[in-house]
Amino acid sequence: MDVAEKLKLLEDFALEKSVLKPNRKLFVVEPSYVRRIFESLIEKLGHGGFYLSTIVGTDLKEENKIRLDYYVVMLPEEETVVIRTFLPRENPVIDSLIDIIPGALAGECETYDLLGVVFRGNPFLKRGFFVPTDVSEKGIYPLRKDSGV
Amino acid sequence: MGITKVVEIPVVTTEVPIGPQHPALHEPIMLKVYADGEEVVKVEVNTGYNHRGIEKLCEKNTFYRDIFIVSRVCGICNAVHANCYVRALEQILDVTPNRRAKFLRVLSMELERIHSHMLINAVMAEIVGFETLFMQIMLDRERVMKAKEILTGNRVSADYMMVSGVRRDIDEVKRDKIKEILLKLKSKIEYYKKVFEEDETLVKRLVDVGRVKYEDATSHSFVGPLARASGVRIDSRASDKYDAYDEIPFNVITRTEGDSWARMMVRWDEILESIEMGIYILNNLPSDGNPVPDERRLPRRFPPGEAYTRVEAQRGELTYYVMSDGKTQNPYRVKIRTPSFNNIVNSAFMYVKHTLADVPVILTSIDPCISCMERVTLIDLEKGVRQRIPLKQLSSGGRK
Repeated sequence: MDVAEKLKLLEDFALEKSVLKPNRKLFVVEPSYVRRIFESLIEKLGHGGFYLSTIVGTDLKEENKIRLDYYVVMLPEEETVVIRTFLPRENPVIDSLIDIIPGALAGECETYDLLGVVFRGNPFLKRGFFVPTDVSEKGIYPLRKDSGV
Repeated sequence: MGITKVVEIPVVTTEVPIGPQHPALHEPIMLKVYADGEEVVKVEVNTGYNHRGIEKLCEKNTFYRDIFIVSRVCGICNAVHANCYVRALEQILDVTPNRRAKFLRVLSMELERIHSHMLINAVMAEIVGFETLFMQIMLDRERVMKAKEILTGNRVSADYMMVSGVRRDIDEVKRDKIKEILLKLKSKIEYYKKVFEEDETLVKRLVDVGRVKYEDATSHSFVGPLARASGVRIDSRASDKYDAYDEIPFNVITRTEGDSWARMMVRWDEILESIEMGIYILNNLPSDGNPVPDERRLPRRFPPGEAYTRVEAQRGELTYYVMSDGKTQNPYRVKIRTPSFNNIVNSAFMYVKHTLADVPVILTSIDPCISCMERVTLIDLEKGVRQRIPLKQLSSGGRK
């Protein structure tokens, strides 16, 4: 399967397409589709056909949203693609990937601890994964723009 | 008197905390190991002992100051961190350095790869109880540090990268000196590689310990030598071809064994590749202008935009996401994902079914870098009082 065919898998779910510098294909999707996208990637490519590189959460305070980017690297071509989704800022909840992709553990735990995005179904989420307890006890998520940190 | 009663002692798993001080390397991480006798049944990785908040710090400082902040994420791989961040800025600004600067950048990163790989191989020798080898490798590592000093002006923290260039150029004399060091080093590295291949103690302790299959490596998002030793061909140098990697010939080293020994051997082979690359760069250094840009003429305004750059650090794929909103001098968001972050946090399954004595060996074979991994939140909250320390005060070293 060549890269174009692999990208076709993602295009079916995409609301919008663009390019992130330098030359990374970006697909904006509905949050409810994220898990289904990864399920179909596993089904079509297998666990050895890609890896989840990073989860980047960004607080977009002015738009009242939290943006979540999943960076996936397709193997063996090493083509990086971005799956982008937006969550409401008050109640950012998304389905966890941990049971299908164990490599999501690090990214999900970090994003929860620093930004407060809840990954539904991840039993390892905890405050204090990175953030010191004196801050996490106050319920502050440091990377939110209005956290005051 | 005969035995009247037999008391059965139930087999309970014992909890053995390894760390947070010095689990294998002198860095704070805790492996909570549950052992049944000598056999490890479960491992929990506890983090958060060393969190410095660099991502938040980057949001509070200007784009140019952040180059120095990200260099301090990790001492041993400061050039790759700065390079990755600087290239993200170059993408946002749409500027490119000249070829000479690109070659020099690659040289500094490859020298760093050599000394980092030598360090972890030396530590591995120490962990298995081979202290003489540790001393020998560290002695030769000093030569590489010297070469890096000749190139960048500093042994460790170089601050070599600048937007659209590097901070120092080299002349003929320096070029010959670095080349001489690399040529001398090559025979030494070949010897150490042979020791790792043939020495009975090392082979006994490393072979078949902490084996990772191909599918496990990708599903757990492992990167770098850890993935390459399991046959996964991930190397951002080869795929992204950033800086001068499109012009310099090199091979991506992979092995199929997937155990601790294979990971160390991948590192030795990569050092040999890096030496070859270094010599190639010094022989073919282009002279298409001054690689050092004039700092005063660099653009001051950053247009809105975002960039995601990858670099092959010593421990694997390192990524930076930088976003500029175009309104301020500071980046809106900087996200650093270091290779150790994936490699350590997701590695708990590797220890299971090995003995307690193998735990440090496996941890060392991952080449963990805790300072790389923990770096996100800047907070100084004492007794409920929020205290912010400005950069000026920090840089004055506490002096008023």
